[in-house]
Amino acid sequence: MSATQLGDVTPVAAPPAAPLNAEKRDLSRHPAAQIVLPVAFAAAVLLLWEFLCRAYAVPEVILPTPSAIYARIISAWPFLVQHAVPTGTEAAIGFLLATVLGIALAVLLSYSRWAYAALYPNVIFFQLIPKIALAPLFIVWLGIGSSSRLAFSMFIAFFPVVIATLTGLNATPPDMLRLCKALTARSWQVFLSVRFPYALPHIFSGLKIAVTFAIIGVIVGEFITAQAGLGYLILFASSQAETSLIMASIAMLCVVGLVLYGAVAGLERLILRKYGH
Amino acid sequence: MISLRGVRKTYASPAGPIEAVAGVSVDIAEGEFVSILGPSGCGKSTLLMMLAGLESITAGSITIGGQPMTGPRRDAGLVFQDATLLPWLSARDNVLFPIKMMRLPREKYVARAEELLHSVGLGDFMDKRPRELSGGMRQRVALCRSLVHTPSIMLMDEPFSALDAITRDEMALVLLDLWARHRKTGIFITHSIREAVLLSDRVLVMTKRPAVVVADVKIPFARPRDESVQDSPEFTAIVARLRGMIEHSIKVAA
Repeated sequence: MSATQLGDVTPVAAPPAAPLNAEKRDLSRHPAAQIVLPVAFAAAVLLLWEFLCRAYAVPEVILPTPSAIYARIISAWPFLVQHAVPTGTEAAIGFLLATVLGIALAVLLSYSRWAYAALYPNVIFFQLIPKIALAPLFIVWLGIGSSSRLAFSMFIAFFPVVIATLTGLNATPPDMLRLCKALTARSWQVFLSVRFPYALPHIFSGLKIAVTFAIIGVIVGEFITAQAGLGYLILFASSQAETSLIMASIAMLCVVGLVLYGAVAGLERLILRKYGH
Repeated sequence: MISLRGVRKTYASPAGPIEAVAGVSVDIAEGEFVSILGPSGCGKSTLLMMLAGLESITAGSITIGGQPMTGPRRDAGLVFQDATLLPWLSARDNVLFPIKMMRLPREKYVARAEELLHSVGLGDFMDKRPRELSGGMRQRVALCRSLVHTPSIMLMDEPFSALDAITRDEMALVLLDLWARHRKTGIFITHSIREAVLLSDRVLVMTKRPAVVVADVKIPFARPRDESVQDSPEFTAIVARLRGMIEHSIKVAA
């Protein structure tokens, strides 16, 4: 080292090439494992459930075995589908109404300081109260038809849409807005080309919450009033102590939920492929 | 010619008014590249935003070509510290973004946008989205965007501050080359003394409390310049002089 002077360049030999794949591969991250593991876990839980029910001779009224529930789903299939249709349709319409109104209100709040000051604290207030408790009011106002269930479903799905959209509309970097202003862009241009696309990932996370809320809204409505629908079927089966039919209806409800959620998530994938960050 | 006369900016705050800019009077000739050098928080960004018409002027006046400033001007191009590109647009469409916002016919500017991207070495990246580009490449796109609508003034607010040191040096050369081709009036905010001296015809030193210009230093190197300018003893001497001024002003302020 003593011979080295300031600024001398000492060539450094390249290190020997490291063997490829030196790191141990983590099998749990393999795509197949990501499908196989959760399915295997659920299957194991069902098997354990089946085994314990049989081993302890649990009465079917208390807890039917998964095989008994499966048999009930098969035997009641046309019946389940018939009741799933109104539930799914009302939830979908309630969700769509909540989406349109929620985004519209969020846009209004983000453009009008007066509207924001007057309405936003109230939106937060409603977001905090347990809205399920208000369901009977909707029946008082709108009767026992599907309009009260639609309105209630829309009402509880509406808040996550407003709040997520508002958060998203405020997510544009301030320098981007300054640039638009410096370029003398009109505010509708800024909205369409900048603020709304920036808000899309936020809007979709709100919509995914809203779609599950919309189903909850319809089910609660059906518990109170309906003569059809999966909520009605669950309550009816419960009055007959038909536990396996309750379980079959719940399974059907899961299918309805997955279909609606899947539709929103699919649309999100499609749109965020272009507008994702 | 851009003329600033006694320009002040005061913000109201609960603790009383805060003086961000305390009376700046400067003339900048057309085609001149001027750096405003100073410690952070000395009001240099506020001054730039006033020049862009994005901040109101509390007192004094700014005139550009004899016309008083009234608001945002379409003949200015802006570059920020962050590239602020739209993530869903290609490099080409990001460069054309001002055309869209200014409601100008896109087809007349596509060739210019592509030529600008070529000139900064992004000819093969025009269809890439920002997330596929490096930080330096994104800032090159932002430089092209500031020039696409043929502005007469380029306003740059610490455009290279968020980049790593090596990329930063490279970007200074990209800008030097770009400016040599287009010869806009350039106003460049920085806290890098070397960057200011390399790029500018004049360096204005700004200090805080009061936020005023304390020195106006002419940079004598001929144009076109390249990186070799930095190796001359004269360059080192100017850098040292400016550093002395800034250190002194910080001591006085503290």
